[in-house]
Amino acid sequence: MKNRMNSLVCAGAVSLMAAMFSPLAAANGAIGDHVNDMKAHMDQYTQEVNWIIGKIDGIVDRYEEKGQKAAKAETVVDIWEEVDFHSAIETNYVPIYASIWQGLFGIKGKIDAKAPVADVRAEQEKLEQTLWQALGAVRLAAHYQAQNLLPEIQTTEKEPTTPVETVDDISHRLDRVVAKYAEQLSDVATTLVHDTYLYRFEGIEGMLIEKDAKLVTDMEKYFNVTLPLAIKDNKSVDEVRSVVEEMKTKLERARTLLEEVEKERKDVF
Amino acid sequence: MSNPVFAQSKRDPESVNDLPQLKGELTLYLGRGEGGLYENVLDAIQKRNPELTLTIRRGATAALANAIMAEAKAGIQKADLFWAVDSGAIGVVADNGQGQALPPSLTDLLDTSFQYPNWAPITGRIRTLPYNPSRVSADKIPDSVLALADTDLKLGWAPAYSSFQSFLTAMRIQEGDKVTGEWLKAINAKATKYAGELGVVMAVERGEVDLGFANHYYTLRLKAGKPDANVQLAFTKDDAGCLVNASGVMALTEGDLPINFVRYLLSKEVQSYLAREAYEIPLVNGIEPPAGIPPMTELSPPDIDLSKLSDLRPTLRLMRQTGVL
Repeated sequence: MKNRMNSLVCAGAVSLMAAMFSPLAAANGAIGDHVNDMKAHMDQYTQEVNWIIGKIDGIVDRYEEKGQKAAKAETVVDIWEEVDFHSAIETNYVPIYASIWQGLFGIKGKIDAKAPVADVRAEQEKLEQTLWQALGAVRLAAHYQAQNLLPEIQTTEKEPTTPVETVDDISHRLDRVVAKYAEQLSDVATTLVHDTYLYRFEGIEGMLIEKDAKLVTDMEKYFNVTLPLAIKDNKSVDEVRSVVEEMKTKLERARTLLEEVEKERKDVF
Repeated sequence: MSNPVFAQSKRDPESVNDLPQLKGELTLYLGRGEGGLYENVLDAIQKRNPELTLTIRRGATAALANAIMAEAKAGIQKADLFWAVDSGAIGVVADNGQGQALPPSLTDLLDTSFQYPNWAPITGRIRTLPYNPSRVSADKIPDSVLALADTDLKLGWAPAYSSFQSFLTAMRIQEGDKVTGEWLKAINAKATKYAGELGVVMAVERGEVDLGFANHYYTLRLKAGKPDANVQLAFTKDDAGCLVNASGVMALTEGDLPINFVRYLLSKEVQSYLAREAYEIPLVNGIEPPAGIPPMTELSPPDIDLSKLSDLRPTLRLMRQTGVL
């Protein structure tokens, strides 16, 4: 992952980097100042990842030795929310943030279902890989932040002012939908889908209709039917993510079309 | 043909060339609009008036309206102007007594039915009945929205869409909850639901349904991209089916500067720009509507105070009671 990111950034694609690392304020919880000085906190983040891995290992060990009740699997949420690394990844790379929640609840779900220990260990291994991947992403973001190549992380929401900014904002919001769903906050995820449609997509759909009406009707269906229904029907996180990825592919086309529209537009005066 | 509701004012529109230079500081609260077009207007005004320092706070229209009222309650005046895509939110602030009185020299620029003492509508969007001319002829379409419930026409609608809910609110105000509830039940039993109103227009064009309910610009934009699209627009008369809702602006502080800023928004250049680029209906006398819409004097929108459309709660309750939502 790190190599892939490096090669992209080395190609001078700073705007692409900004799209990958999306420094958005978290929707809930306080964000510490550390997120705007991540390089100075990398040792702390590394210790925290090791601490989380140890704590989760303890849960699985207890499960193996003493059974479901003694494992106290419900503490996975407290463990994750205890660390500053939580907001470092949430504000910089929402897709991995979502995967971490998915991994945490994957372990909890297996323990709650009294699954074989081998199955729980398999979930644990996936989570550990995701956590190391997340640490790599934060390390890379810290590197570019130190070079002033990333915008400062906003602690309040910033409104997009152009159609292309709006598309980027929609894309980030959809990542957050997956993250909130992975956190098992379905109502929050559904509200986010609804608000994104009403307050973001509706603002750009008019311009898109002339260029590609079918694209707009497809997106309307995704926003109003497909994605809310996937959440309501308790589909897996991977299935919800898959819907979001399809939407993001269509948003890329929307982005290209909106760039064309802006080029063609006449001045006001 | 003309109607008393949409009578034109006698004033000619103003050009920005005739307006005074804007000098000083203004803070504008901007409710979300047409995906950047309002921003383009503001950029253009700023560039034309280099001695104007314009600070913009952006946000959801209802949230900004609440902020303005909360600030007033706390004795703080941060915003000089409030420009919102939804006139209902403007109405709430106006009812709170916060809009400055607009001079007749400004309100006279607007069509007479859109003249309000302390806020100014900027552009409108009209409720229409898009229909497929291969499946239904214009003379078979009733000019009453209520009568649609009694026809054999195959209908399409998007009841979850916010503009539909504003239209329904207008129907409640005009006809009452009982009539509106019965209409909803009848339509719900026969109409095909779509996720959004473009979906309705597209379904009409494909011939999936004969006729639908939608804001005007979906059809105009579709036809702009696909001139041979098999869809036409019909309009009801004197009822909510032909409601013209509007974006609006209000001055919150005294003085010439906020008022003159509003004049820029009502200038023929800005009105023409929004008609051309956003397909919105200009509400200033003498400005051409977007192609494909009859002149406003030939339409018969209902005589409704737009600021009364802000409270959707009773409408949503009725929609739930009738099983629509």
